[in-house]
Amino acid sequence: MADVAEIKGHAPTADVILEPTPGAILRRRIFRHWGLIFGGIILLVIVLMALLAGVISPHDPYDQQLARKLIPPIWHESAKATWTHPLGTDHLGRDYLSRLFYGAQVSLMIGFLAMLISGIIGTTLGVLAGYFGGRVDMIVNFIVTTRLSMPVVLVALAVVSLIGGSLTVVIWVLGLLIWDRFAVVMRSATMQIRNRDFVAAAEALGCSRTRIIMTEVMPNIMNHLIVVATLEMAHAILLEAALSFLGLGVQPPTPSWGLMVSEAKGLMFFDAWLIAIPGIALFLLVLSINLLGDGLRDVTSPDGRS
Amino acid sequence: MWRRFTCAALGAFIVFSHPDVAQAGKADDTLVWATDRENTVIDPYYSNTRELVILGRHVWDALVTIDIKSGEIKPLLSTSWKWLDDKTIEFKLRDGVKFHDGRDFSADDVVYTINFVTNRANGVVTYNNVGWMAGAEKVDAKTVRIKLKKPFAAALAYLANAVPILPKGNYDSVPTGPGGKKDFTQAKPVGTGPYKVVEVKSGEFVLMERFEGYIKGGPKGTPAIKFLRYRTIKEKNTQVAESMTGAIDWIWDVPKEQAERMKANPRLTVENAKTLRVSYLQFDVKGVSPQKFFMDKRIRQAIAHAINRDAIAKSLVGPASEAIHAACHPDQFGCTADVLKDMVRYPYDPEKAKKLLAEAGHPNGFAFDIYGYREREFTEAVIGDLAKVGIKAKLNWLQFRALREKVRKGEVSVNMMTWGSYSIPDASAMVGHFFAGGPDDLTKDPDLTRMVEEAGNTPDAAKRKVLYAKVHARIAAEAYWVPLFTYAKYYVYSKDLAFTTTSDETPRFYLAKWK
Amino acid sequence: MLYFTLRRLSVAVLVALTVSWLSFSMIYLSGDPATALAGETATAADVENIRRIYGYDRPIVVQYVDWLMNALQGNLGRSHYLKSDVSKIIMERLPTTMLLGACALSFALILSIPLGVLAAIRPNSLFDRFALTLAVIGQAMPSFWFALTLILWLGIYGIGGVRLPITGSASWLNFIMPSIALGYYVTPAVMRLTRAGMLDVLSSDYIRTARAKGLRPRTVLFKHALRNAIIPVVSLAAVQFGFMLGGSIVIETIFNINGLGYLAWESIQRADLPVMQAIVLVLSIIYVIITFLADMLNAFLDPRIRVH
Repeated sequence: MADVAEIKGHAPTADVILEPTPGAILRRRIFRHWGLIFGGIILLVIVLMALLAGVISPHDPYDQQLARKLIPPIWHESAKATWTHPLGTDHLGRDYLSRLFYGAQVSLMIGFLAMLISGIIGTTLGVLAGYFGGRVDMIVNFIVTTRLSMPVVLVALAVVSLIGGSLTVVIWVLGLLIWDRFAVVMRSATMQIRNRDFVAAAEALGCSRTRIIMTEVMPNIMNHLIVVATLEMAHAILLEAALSFLGLGVQPPTPSWGLMVSEAKGLMFFDAWLIAIPGIALFLLVLSINLLGDGLRDVTSPDGRS
Repeated sequence: MWRRFTCAALGAFIVFSHPDVAQAGKADDTLVWATDRENTVIDPYYSNTRELVILGRHVWDALVTIDIKSGEIKPLLSTSWKWLDDKTIEFKLRDGVKFHDGRDFSADDVVYTINFVTNRANGVVTYNNVGWMAGAEKVDAKTVRIKLKKPFAAALAYLANAVPILPKGNYDSVPTGPGGKKDFTQAKPVGTGPYKVVEVKSGEFVLMERFEGYIKGGPKGTPAIKFLRYRTIKEKNTQVAESMTGAIDWIWDVPKEQAERMKANPRLTVENAKTLRVSYLQFDVKGVSPQKFFMDKRIRQAIAHAINRDAIAKSLVGPASEAIHAACHPDQFGCTADVLKDMVRYPYDPEKAKKLLAEAGHPNGFAFDIYGYREREFTEAVIGDLAKVGIKAKLNWLQFRALREKVRKGEVSVNMMTWGSYSIPDASAMVGHFFAGGPDDLTKDPDLTRMVEEAGNTPDAAKRKVLYAKVHARIAAEAYWVPLFTYAKYYVYSKDLAFTTTSDETPRFYLAKWK
Repeated sequence: MLYFTLRRLSVAVLVALTVSWLSFSMIYLSGDPATALAGETATAADVENIRRIYGYDRPIVVQYVDWLMNALQGNLGRSHYLKSDVSKIIMERLPTTMLLGACALSFALILSIPLGVLAAIRPNSLFDRFALTLAVIGQAMPSFWFALTLILWLGIYGIGGVRLPITGSASWLNFIMPSIALGYYVTPAVMRLTRAGMLDVLSSDYIRTARAKGLRPRTVLFKHALRNAIIPVVSLAAVQFGFMLGGSIVIETIFNINGLGYLAWESIQRADLPVMQAIVLVLSIIYVIITFLADMLNAFLDPRIRVH
């Protein structure tokens, strides 16, 4: 919510484009911004982990061997620790490292697809409201307020429990629920662009509204869109983890990081590594996406961080 | 300003946090025990949760009781009984017994209870446990006769475990529910048992206090602990955390790995004990649900071969658990090794499972929904084993009542559930419930129903064994069920508590003492 | 102001109506409500009877209007599982959740406003970076993980020999851990907004004037700057309070707090539709009321909003 207020303080982004060598400035900014670099690197590592899961996993993530369950990770002083399972095995004897790799796929996919769905809904509503204003704005405002007044976690849980949990259902439910921030931010960003000269010029030239929105408005609100997209992706990943914790998210044996944390929660007080590994992975993923989003906002706004 | 505020807050924190926050245990003579199921109905006939079976033993008494050590039937609210013929038992009742509200116990209460619960129209939930009685009649103030519908061998065991006696008129003043029907679940809990219910907060706790007017020198002894507080705590982690801090004195169903690690805690006793509960897979063999795979016997057999029951029993459940192959508990009458010696078995054999699947036309397996309600990791292990032969089971997690409702409506193709036989050490408590045409019988196999009924009605022990052998042979040959393993429960309780576990999953807190 | 109030009020009422329609239609998401209400021992005749008594045989719009009229009179139906009136159950649980929400919000404000102010006094300093890191980390931790970790450190190990109670509601000590666990997630947003607001105000002309007049820095900061910077925080806090009421499911489940969130979670598991429906309705309406009041307060404090 704070982002809305912060964005209001930003000077119009188009200024960046008008500066002499915008590319160079942007590049310099990016490399000076440690949060952006740090977030980018972690996210890159996680994405690579997910993409290469099939190649780099030492074992089949579904292969259950009850005889070798709960082997601790390699840094643990226990004699059971072995390089065959560098991160140990879970309560059903499945290789934890392999599950972590495959889990990256699932968590990223949920975050990305849910963000995509909510992004499409929210951006459409927000841009329409911001561009046309008046009655359209009122209606969109009304839809957004209605959506905001429904408790997200509760509605998500209720719907998932009524139609049954699965990867697809979770993605759709989250996607259909968390578009509000897209709508709010896109609306105010579009309103700022709408009153600028080049939009007026395009209108005067008789360009169609669709064309103006697509070629004049959208490119200029892209940076806001990316920032919100990263935040919402992180939001979706955390929500999935919460749903999994309550047993209504992704269903086992699919390895999602949220589910791994949830499956390990019983031994939390005894074998802390079991919950710490996927927990830290989840934390790093969300952290890196957030850092990336914050960083992008900073480097694309001309005053730097305000 | 901020500094002053912070200082004040910190000061307040230190002052207020010093008094000891423990609320349980020896110091205030309150035994706090917790489970994860919320009980909204505190009535032994209108709820069939395990918690109500336990509360049932503490708040109510039955005519007879089973001695834990010898397994013998002993008189409790009665002093003696005799069979007048093979369908009539006559009880002489104990003198000087009082209900918690001060009324005297007499033959009228027994007659009222039995005639009420055996009346189909009253819709008691535990009808399967009482439906074998035709009714009761009063002979005089201290004598009653119980009439059976037909000869029933396990009658006294059922009377001991499943027929607590309520005061006359127990259900007279219940409120009227929706549809103008009386809501019998709302009766006030009053019994003659060693503890009386003092306070109930629906779904939160039940507080019981020692009943000072309880039978002196009876077979249940005299309770030592003043208060029992039963709490519902959903999260196992929270239960575990609370018992480690001493806020709870007694929990059970602790998963193996957690329990093994809690042994290191000096204030806790950890025990793994056998129970009468078994876990099983039940199939929708009639194809009522949308997923019709399980109408095919070969698929059911394939699943039976695919699951590594021994591994699950030993490495997940606990050392006291064992894999089972018949739809009953090995400690029950009619389920012992001599009865089961000729029955078909489905040992762990994934290759054979794959072959059977291929024969059934699913060489690459298939996907279906499986439903579960307790100990998620056991069900996950089953799903893992099925995945190895190519069957993808999607897990659906529900609460017991919701799941049972769904099963009865025929919306569930495969469920992994458990059954504790109401602690009755007789196979009739199991096959009688699931294969005699009742609501939980998904086979609706008339031959099997007849066989089960015959086995239940035969008084002669040797003949019954032969009949049960046939019943189990039939269930196994058709693979109607995949019996999985017996439960072994981990109990974790305070070192201050002198407590003895029993295999019937009914802790007797009235026998517990503080050390 | 009157025009603004009326317009804002009509939006609130419209939203409330839409939400009520959405929560009403939830009952049809899972099939036939009569069967669900009748319970497990019901016969086909019972189901028909209930369908007639409850009026499920009427057109949906008629049912909705009827349901709405009842809801307006405080009658939210009956829980077939808990055998009790839904409004009674909700009124029993609501205070606990409200109390938890209030405690969590207080915790969040006490932590985040000073942090935000301090960060704004020295922007881009080490402290500012530290506060920002704290905020980013807060956003990235799964709430249940954080809650369980709190239990481990504060409840089981204890700090300085003092252990906090994990469950129950016997004393205010019981609310410390759940309040931290729930409130921590609000901190980043409030902190960022306070920081941004303070930066804005501190660079404004009147603060420069106040400084130039030689007023003590502390007076400038608290009397003039903070008072103005805090206005948007008020409405954000109100909105976050609404979110927390709905988001307390996980926290209430872990700490075994018998509030609305816990009830919601139980009702979902039991497929107890009337209760689920009512909780969604009640939480949404509370949110609508809170945001309306916050907007009114804002408009009162900041006259510029009224003309928008």
